[in-house]
Amino acid sequence: MSITLTVNGTPATVAAEPRTHLADLLRGELLLTGTHLGCEHGVCGACTVEVDGAPARSCLIHAGACDGASVRTIEGFGEDAVMVALRESFSAEHALQCGYCTPGMLVVARDIVLRLPDADEARVREELAGNLCRCTGYRGIVRAILGVLASRRGAAS
Amino acid sequence: MTATISKGVGASLRRKEDARFLHGRGRYVGDIRPAGTLEVAFLRSPVAHARLLGVQKPTGLVFTAADLPEIRPIRANSTLPGFRASDQPALAVGKLRHVGEPIAACVAPTRAEAEDLAAACVLDYQALPVIADMLAARAPGAALIHEHWPDNAFLETRRDEDLTDLDAVAAAKVTRRLRTARQHMAPLEGRGVLAEWDPRLEQLVVTTAAQMPHVTKTGLAECLGLDEGQVRVVAPDVGGGFGYKGILLAEELVCAALAIRLGRPVRWLEDRLEQLTANANCREHFYEVTAWADAHGKLLGVEVDATVDAGAYSLYPFSACLEAAQIGSIFPGPYTLPRFRFRTVSACTNKPPILPYRGVARTGVCYAMETTLDALARQLGISAQAIRAANLVPPEAMPYRNLVGKVFDSGDYPEALRRAVAAVDVAAVRARQAAGEAVGFGLSVFCEQGAHGTSVYHGWGIPFVPGFEQAQARFTPDGVLELRVGLHSHGQGLETTLAQVAHEILGVDPARVRLVHGDTALTPYSTGTWGSRAMVMAGGAVAEACRQLGERALAIGAALLQTDRASVRLVAGQVVAGDAAVSLDQVARTWFRSPQNLPANVDRGGLEVTAGYRPDPDTGTHSYAAHAVVAKVCTETGMVTLEQYVIVEDGGVLVNPMIVDGQVLGGVAQGIGTALYEEMPFDSEAQPLAGTLADYLLPGATEVPDIRIEHMETPSPWTRFGQKGLGESGAIGPPGAIVNAINDALAPLGAELLDLPATPARVLAALAKAGRA
Ligand code: FES
Ligand code: FES
Repeated sequence: MSITLTVNGTPATVAAEPRTHLADLLRGELLLTGTHLGCEHGVCGACTVEVDGAPARSCLIHAGACDGASVRTIEGFGEDAVMVALRESFSAEHALQCGYCTPGMLVVARDIVLRLPDADEARVREELAGNLCRCTGYRGIVRAILGVLASRRGAAS
Repeated sequence: MTATISKGVGASLRRKEDARFLHGRGRYVGDIRPAGTLEVAFLRSPVAHARLLGVQKPTGLVFTAADLPEIRPIRANSTLPGFRASDQPALAVGKLRHVGEPIAACVAPTRAEAEDLAAACVLDYQALPVIADMLAARAPGAALIHEHWPDNAFLETRRDEDLTDLDAVAAAKVTRRLRTARQHMAPLEGRGVLAEWDPRLEQLVVTTAAQMPHVTKTGLAECLGLDEGQVRVVAPDVGGGFGYKGILLAEELVCAALAIRLGRPVRWLEDRLEQLTANANCREHFYEVTAWADAHGKLLGVEVDATVDAGAYSLYPFSACLEAAQIGSIFPGPYTLPRFRFRTVSACTNKPPILPYRGVARTGVCYAMETTLDALARQLGISAQAIRAANLVPPEAMPYRNLVGKVFDSGDYPEALRRAVAAVDVAAVRARQAAGEAVGFGLSVFCEQGAHGTSVYHGWGIPFVPGFEQAQARFTPDGVLELRVGLHSHGQGLETTLAQVAHEILGVDPARVRLVHGDTALTPYSTGTWGSRAMVMAGGAVAEACRQLGERALAIGAALLQTDRASVRLVAGQVVAGDAAVSLDQVARTWFRSPQNLPANVDRGGLEVTAGYRPDPDTGTHSYAAHAVVAKVCTETGMVTLEQYVIVEDGGVLVNPMIVDGQVLGGVAQGIGTALYEEMPFDSEAQPLAGTLADYLLPGATEVPDIRIEHMETPSPWTRFGQKGLGESGAIGPPGAIVNAINDALAPLGAELLDLPATPARVLAALAKAGRA
């Protein structure tokens, strides 16, 4: 089947088998390999991308369901201010080791920062419950997100 | 040294590798797909033990062992006396020995089509009695998994010492039977292989998620009958290893043979279902421990009978016996044990073959020893701290050689214990207990031998003994320093830390240092990244290569400054004589582009040095730690909550403290998984029962508490900078400390937990057994 969608701001029309999931479409057809696959059954969060402005697990969405959708992957955030702050903070807090969970973590982290400006540590941990990291033990990731939240609160007040 | 402290050894330098990962530019095997690539799906055994009678193949590219006779079986024989050899066929021959064993490779342009082919195969087999449990494996009359053996044991090791007299003199004696669960290492990225045949070079190029690319290369050459020069292995970015990728894979051999056969790139990417069902391959131990102590808690002797479920085959390169063979030598832990008797068995079962997971046998050993110590303390009515203090190796005894010949390099173990206990308000826990709350305090103390070398591994019988680690340091014509090492960095941050080492020696800005790793065509041979060896071994080798390179640069620099070698020094990346200086860039440019300016007696080796390194003695470094935990147990649901987690850790001189903390924290999260959540259950037919990450529970951000780490930094006297290996340490201590905390909480109820993981069901069962639930 033929699917038309917008990926990282660019319109794309791709042919895909109906059983293809969005992650395979992004990685295989569009060569956007920054989106990773850790389980392909919706538990690990490594495949998280933004679909129509909200985080979504690209392994659980059939490509056909994305017709007309706007998708943003880790490659598509450019100089987005929150993403720039998160990259900086992730590096400073050593929030990544092998880097495999990182794209999904960043997409979710950006959503947390924008949606929950007052989130505390417990809330951030809860919000991260759908993203597994086998390397870091999460402390760096949690601190990186809390750091960006704090600096945005500081800037706002 | 002070001028360079911000970027050299000891600096928490941010990682050079972060940028690519933060922008989605990491490159893992699954991201690489050359034109014309064919994908492989494996037809795998649906049963744990059977005679394989045949495979009816559908139309298409389907290959069984008979179709690929060029692949020789994998052989990983321990050199320990009594080891029973067995072959591991890349594709099953004659028998099926565990669920998930590869039987046929199904090849198609897409993975989905390849899976369709696998689903269309019809398997003909005759079921055999299944050995699903390591203790049943040894029962008289048990079905034989390898029929040319007299029983189902790869190996038995023992140390005989009669301890029966201790019954008469000991103030306390306890016996415990303890089990750890079979686990999955579960790196977030699965395994993956892309094999290509280059007809021009007559070379096989295998891109694979590997921790030890050179060992993989040797194994591929051996099993495919190729010269080693005909095999190049590339490990690109690898999404976590933990031991899971320290192996020669049957799948690598099959993809390689197919790439040669078909003249097309051939790729296999493991998915999570096949990973969980075919490769739950670590940590399953059974211990029967008896310990005797005097009234002060001083250990008089320990007897341990340990069985390791080693699964169906002996894997390359570590063999089926590394784990069990290590138990005898590490069981005494950080303690001065006067008498010791052990027997270990590597049991062969119809389960996936065992691989060493972060911490290897130490996690199980620490669990067994530390819970036994607490049981003794409870019997004696002394504290968990007191019994450990009575037995830890004292600092004045360092370097200390214990009764099984293990040599501890340095450290103050009792101080780590004191600091860990001081970091927790134990009195508050006791007050809550007195008020009837099910809360407990638990400790574990352990040491981690790391970067141990030739003599140790030779003694453990593994067929691939590490020797001198080599590194190459070279300047490129623009003055950039390139380091080449044969091991691989997959999260450990070596691209940063080895640049820090180079900076320490040469003063070159780490931003101007490139690390080349993970490609056998570009790097010196190495046994790879495992055994907490990278920072000691590669760090030492890089330091030595840089030192020698610095000597050559100084000689050239002196000539450029028109002075002699004795008058110049290296300062901040420059060759300096008094007020005059030339940069290393200029030195490099001179060698490569203006050789007319070189001194007549210049070293003709140029600006490229390969140096080897091994600490002397090579008995390894011993990092050590004390973990202190406060845990609350819900006696209604059996749920355990970790309220506090403190670690006092001594890794010697820390090359990059930020990265060290990251290693410890990541290890602890895995150790918490071992303690509380992770378990691959098998039924009586050895069928794995957890097929998704919703069934096999990995700790998430809500399961791992905010962990506090305190450092001690006792240098190792035997390594280049005093650094110690500690990459595995975090994963060793948690089960012991956590279960001790749980048992401390349960003790007033008369309940005790013995088996891992401490799931709600096991906690409730322990309470029920004590008549409390
Ligand atoms: S790959 Fe989509 S949630 Fe794991
Ligand atoms: S950094 Fe490796 S899985 Fe998160």
